[in-house]
Amino acid sequence: MTTRTFRAGIHPPAFKERTMAREVMDIAMPEELVIPLHQHTGAPCGPLVKVGDEVLAGQKIGDSKSYVSAPVHASAAGVVKAIEPRLYFTGAQVSSVVVTVAKEQKMAPLPPGKRADDATPEDIRKAAREAGLVGMGGAAFPTAVKLSPPPDKPIDTVIVNGCECEPYLTCDHRNMLERPSEIIGGARLLMKAVGAKRCVLGIEANKSDALGLLGDAIKDETGMDVMALEVKYPQGAEKQLIKAVLDREVPPGKLPMEVGALVHNIATTIALYQAVTQGMPLIERVLTVTGPAVANPQNVRVKVGTSVRHILEQCGGAVNAAKVVLGGPMTGWAQSTLDVPVVKGTGGILALTPDLAGPDGHLACVRCGRCIKDCPMFLYPNFIGLYAEAHQWDKAESWGALDCFECGICAYVCPSRRPLVQFVRTAKAQITARRRSA
Amino acid sequence: MKPCETLIVSPPPHIKSGVTVPTAMRDVLIALLPVTLTSVYFYRLNAVFIVAVCLAAAALTDLTIRRILGRPSSVSDGSALVTGWLVALCFSPTGAWSWWTAAAATFIGVGLAKEMMGGLGFNRYNPALFGRACVIILAPLFVLLNPEFSELAVRFPMPDAISTATPMALLKQGMQGPAYLRLFLANAGGALGETSALALILGGVYLYLRGHICWRIPVSLVGTVVALTAILGRDPVVHALAGGLLLGAIFMATDWVTSPVTDQGKIVFGVAIGVLVVVFRLFLGPVEGVAFSILIMNGFVPLIDGALRRLKFGEVRGAALVRKAA
Repeated sequence: MTTRTFRAGIHPPAFKERTMAREVMDIAMPEELVIPLHQHTGAPCGPLVKVGDEVLAGQKIGDSKSYVSAPVHASAAGVVKAIEPRLYFTGAQVSSVVVTVAKEQKMAPLPPGKRADDATPEDIRKAAREAGLVGMGGAAFPTAVKLSPPPDKPIDTVIVNGCECEPYLTCDHRNMLERPSEIIGGARLLMKAVGAKRCVLGIEANKSDALGLLGDAIKDETGMDVMALEVKYPQGAEKQLIKAVLDREVPPGKLPMEVGALVHNIATTIALYQAVTQGMPLIERVLTVTGPAVANPQNVRVKVGTSVRHILEQCGGAVNAAKVVLGGPMTGWAQSTLDVPVVKGTGGILALTPDLAGPDGHLACVRCGRCIKDCPMFLYPNFIGLYAEAHQWDKAESWGALDCFECGICAYVCPSRRPLVQFVRTAKAQITARRRSA
Repeated sequence: MKPCETLIVSPPPHIKSGVTVPTAMRDVLIALLPVTLTSVYFYRLNAVFIVAVCLAAAALTDLTIRRILGRPSSVSDGSALVTGWLVALCFSPTGAWSWWTAAAATFIGVGLAKEMMGGLGFNRYNPALFGRACVIILAPLFVLLNPEFSELAVRFPMPDAISTATPMALLKQGMQGPAYLRLFLANAGGALGETSALALILGGVYLYLRGHICWRIPVSLVGTVVALTAILGRDPVVHALAGGLLLGAIFMATDWVTSPVTDQGKIVFGVAIGVLVVVFRLFLGPVEGVAFSILIMNGFVPLIDGALRRLKFGEVRGAALVRKAA
């Protein structure tokens, strides 16, 4: 089978064997949930409950009038203990609803589900919004907004992203193996919502079982394909995936709809199917708990708002962890404490042992050019880093700082161990702050 | 569970490739082994001695200069040793060679051209070539000094068959040079690093396979020299294989710090050096044209990098022009 791909990129070791063959497990309910009211790109939600209220599982507890936003729901029944700023995985303090979980779990009455065939595009968007769907691949962009392209940007192809190119993570892989019918149902809904005639399930070639299973499952579906893609990081990045599947390049600063494409992650696709057919809000997700410090690495189904500490305990503990990352090793966020909740966009918990945790001191740039050679956006990370260090923000911008999506390749390959992603982030923040004040 | 209560927080990525500056420098040293061994075959202990002197001088210079500047020693990153080794390969144990000249060249390279410019990554000029070129320019000084130090001179026995004239010198005098095959495989005469084209190419292929250098600079440089000498009616094969051309093209012009980082820039850089080499060799005096050509083009690297940028992902040529004009 020939595999398609994009230009540049790297081949890091996969580290997926620890968890890829293990079925998704449910874990014990935690005693407390911390549910941030702002888990998505866009406007934060305001609380719909107050301290002391009893809530039911699936009950909406936060919403916003803004178009670009997504409501949040109680992931379990219980009592609202507090509504206060709590530590979020990015390090920020985010207003959160703290729920003491009740012994007896009861589901809130859900909006009626529709048969997938009967749902209109408007029904699908409304269900996505009501269920609080966001992109579960990490960026957490509200799904309903993505499903509402303007009429002058017709979308011909939906791409369901099953690449899972981040090392260590296998939750999308497990979802593909365990829930193929929901993925296909969700893909149908995505196509219908935006009026696309074609859908491609893009899967990296190292998941041959998923390729085979989904390939068989779509045999009778019209307009649907499964495509094997080269195992290369960042194959699952939106623009790189569109390039690989459709050979179209999204222009700098533009969205995929510019080239008639829409990309959704596997988990989001499943969640959309559940939202439309069962009225099920997004209150739980599958994530990979892994890394050499985890005693019993596995994929687990967890309630949104569960603390990292509880999840690690349920996986046998991580006694020797020196670094705990939410997300994948290339783009994830290192945590300062285990008392931080996982949210809708969290795809993994990675616990690293001291030998793998760094931190590395860094040297000056030796201009080896590896970051330039491997950058999938064809930028010049070395110069962005140098000018960010020198506080020359205009020059950092001229070398492409704003076009970087922080895949982490530059810092991964840098022989001087320069924190290039951090330099880019600093440059971006400074450039946008200057624009705003100008 | 009792997890470590102090967790390390650092920006992503949280995994790194195995390539670091020290491992890369180690690979360069490995790549220099074939030609060094060839020179040891021809010059015996003389070659070993030059390399040893330069390595020691490089390490000592790194230690002392960095101590004076208040920086921790950087001998362990290997870059000073690479410079020292490359300086050694620029010297020939025949003729008026003396070990203190090589030590001085190393000191100037590591100390002045690199450390005083800010250390590895901040030097504009290739340290090894800068040191070598300074010694060439300071030749009258060494003529003056050498008799004072003559008692310190070290000479090891040399096999009889070694001719003192380098192929390039023979060519300049209009004499018959060595046969092509011998020039390619192994030929005594000239600097340590000029004893075998094959050994240099082997080293270059190793560096290429390890991902440390790309083909653009060596190929465009040597290609330009071959094309120009052929057009001008000279022997392109001798010009490609003899003298310091391959040593310069594979190991000096590809120096990370002092060569362009852009793909197009590398080609321009290589071609420009090639043109300069031909000008030096055919029309100007010094035999060490390669060293001066590379050093001259080192100075143009920031200009080349700034002028030749590739398009970003999804960018079209016209849009790039608009962006520049705006």
